[in-house]
Amino acid sequence: MNPTMTKKLLLTLLAWGIALIVFFPIFWMVLTGFKTEGEAVATPPSLFFEPTLAGYHEVMARADYLKFALNSIVISFGSTLLALIVAIPSAYSMAFLPTKRTRGTLLWMLSTKMLPPVGVLMPVYLLFRDMGLLDSQLGLTIVYMLMNLPIVVWMLYTFFKDIPKDILEAGRMDGAGTLQEVLYLLLPLTLPGIASTGLLSVILSWNEAFWSLNLTTSDAAPLTAFIASFSSPEGLFWAKLSAASTLAIAPILIFGWLTQKQMVRGLTFGAVK
Amino acid sequence: MPSKVSAPASGERRHRRSLAGHIERVLPRLVVAPSLGVALFFVYGYMLWTFLLSLTNSRMLPQYDFVGFAQYARLFANERWHVAATNLVVFGGLFIVSCLVIGLLLAIFLDQRIRQEGALRTIYLYPMALSLIVTGVVWRWLLNPGLGIQAMVRGWGFEDFTFNWLVDSDMAIYTLVIAAVWQASGFVMALFLAGLRSIDDSLFQAAALDGASLPRIYTRIVLPSLRPVVFSSVMILAHIAIKSFDLVMALTGGGPGYATDLPATFMYAHTFTRGQIGLGSASAIMMLCGVLAILVPYLYSELRGQRHG
Repeated sequence: MNPTMTKKLLLTLLAWGIALIVFFPIFWMVLTGFKTEGEAVATPPSLFFEPTLAGYHEVMARADYLKFALNSIVISFGSTLLALIVAIPSAYSMAFLPTKRTRGTLLWMLSTKMLPPVGVLMPVYLLFRDMGLLDSQLGLTIVYMLMNLPIVVWMLYTFFKDIPKDILEAGRMDGAGTLQEVLYLLLPLTLPGIASTGLLSVILSWNEAFWSLNLTTSDAAPLTAFIASFSSPEGLFWAKLSAASTLAIAPILIFGWLTQKQMVRGLTFGAVK
Repeated sequence: MPSKVSAPASGERRHRRSLAGHIERVLPRLVVAPSLGVALFFVYGYMLWTFLLSLTNSRMLPQYDFVGFAQYARLFANERWHVAATNLVVFGGLFIVSCLVIGLLLAIFLDQRIRQEGALRTIYLYPMALSLIVTGVVWRWLLNPGLGIQAMVRGWGFEDFTFNWLVDSDMAIYTLVIAAVWQASGFVMALFLAGLRSIDDSLFQAAALDGASLPRIYTRIVLPSLRPVVFSSVMILAHIAIKSFDLVMALTGGGPGYATDLPATFMYAHTFTRGQIGLGSASAIMMLCGVLAILVPYLYSELRGQRHG
C-alpha cells in the first residue's frame, strides 16, 4: 500500500471513530430501552444482553404515546405551516423590494431570538389563561409559530436573495402579477430552501420543551412533556426513561436520515447549500 | 448587476398613478408589518410588562403596588443570583469557545476529502436535532458516577478512576458544558465546512507555490475568510446558551443545591415556585440588559461591516 492510501485509510478510520463517539450516547440510550430495569443499572454496563420490549410495554401502558405523538405532529407541522404563510410575503418584499430599513428590520426581528423566553413567560401565561388557550393545541401552535418566525423569515430571505432578479422581471414582462410571480416562479425555484426552512421549524418545534411544559398539562402535551413525565418523579427507572426518550426522538432521527440533505441545510440555517 | 436591469421597469411603474400602482408600492411594507409586529410585540411588549412587574411588590400574583427599584436591590443582595450570573458567564464562555475550536478542527479534518463525507456530516450533526430534554436524560445517565462513564472505566479495571462532576457542586457546571458542546459542535463543524468549501482553491495553490506551510495557510488565509461564519456561529451559539434552561432542568435541575443555577432557572424558580414575581421579573430584566449590552454592539458592528465590505 502506498503512503497516500495509508493516510486516507487512517483518516477514514479516525473519522468513523469520532462518529462513533458522537453517536454513542444516542446508541446507548436506544440500547438501554431494550433492557430490563436490572440490566440497565448493572455495573459494569453490559453490551450483550437479551433484548426485551418490557420497557416499551410499560411506557405504553402508563401513558398514551400516540396521543402525545399526535399532539407533537399537529403542533409542529401546524406552526410551521402558519409561520411559512406569514413569512413568505415578508421575505419576498425584503429580498426583492428592499428599503433603507430592511437590514434594521431583520436585525430587530432576530434580536428577539436572543432574549430568554422565561422573560415573557409570565405575561403569555396570564394571557393564555384569560383566553382559555392553556393546554390547547391551538395555543401551543401559535406560540411555536411566533417563536420560530424570526428564523423562518431570515432563512427565507437568504434563499430568496439568491434568486436573480432578472428571472422575476422576465415574468413581469410577460404580464405576470405579483401573485403569479410568487406562485409560479419564486416558490418553485426556492422550493428546496423552503423545504429546509420548514424542516428546521418542524425540528425546533418538535424539540421545544420550555413552553410545552409550562403551557400544557395533559390534553395538548407533546412528546417533550411525555419524556419529562417519565423523568421527574422516577428518574431512576432508566430502561423506561430510555424507551420513552427513544420513542420521542425516533421520528426525527429516521425522518432526518431520509431527508439528509434538507436536514443538514435546515439545521445549519441554510449555510450548507 | 440586477439593479441596473430593474431600473427601467421600476421607473415605468412609478409613472402609473393608478390605485393598483399605489397598492403595489405600499404592499411590501404591509406584508412585512405582521412579522415584525408580532415579533416585537410579543417579545419587547411583554418585556415591558415584565419590567412593570419588576417595579412592584408582586408575590404569588401580579399586582401593581409600585415600590421603585427595591426588587433590584434585593436581587443584588441575593447570593443565589450571584451564583447564577457567574454560572452563565462561565457556561456561555466555555461553551462558545469549545464549540468553535472543536467545530473548526472537525471541519478542517472532514475537509481532507474523506469518503462518505455526507453520512459522517449527518452523524456529527445528529445531536443538534435532539431535544435538550433528551440530551439531558442521556448525559445524566452517562455522567452518573454509579452507572455511566465512571462505572464503565472502573469495570475495565481502573478502580481509582473518578469522574463524579455531576454530584460535585464545584464541577457540576462543567457537566452542562460537556453536554451542550456535544450537542452543538457538529453544527459548528457543518458551518465551518461550508465556509472552507467556499474558499477559492486557487488561493491555496498560490500560497503553496509561494512556499507557505500548511499551518501558515490556515492562519493567514483560511481563518480570516471564515470571519462571517464565526459571526453567525457565535450568534446562534449565544442563543443556545441563553436558552439552556431546558438542559439545566433535565440534566442537573439546577443542583447540587443551586450550584448550576442559571439566570433563567433562577427567574423560573422565583416567579413560579417561590411566589416572588417581583424579584423574578427584576432578574428577567437584568438578563435582558446583559444580553443587549453584549450582543447589540457586536451585531451592529458586524452588520455595518458587511454593508460596507
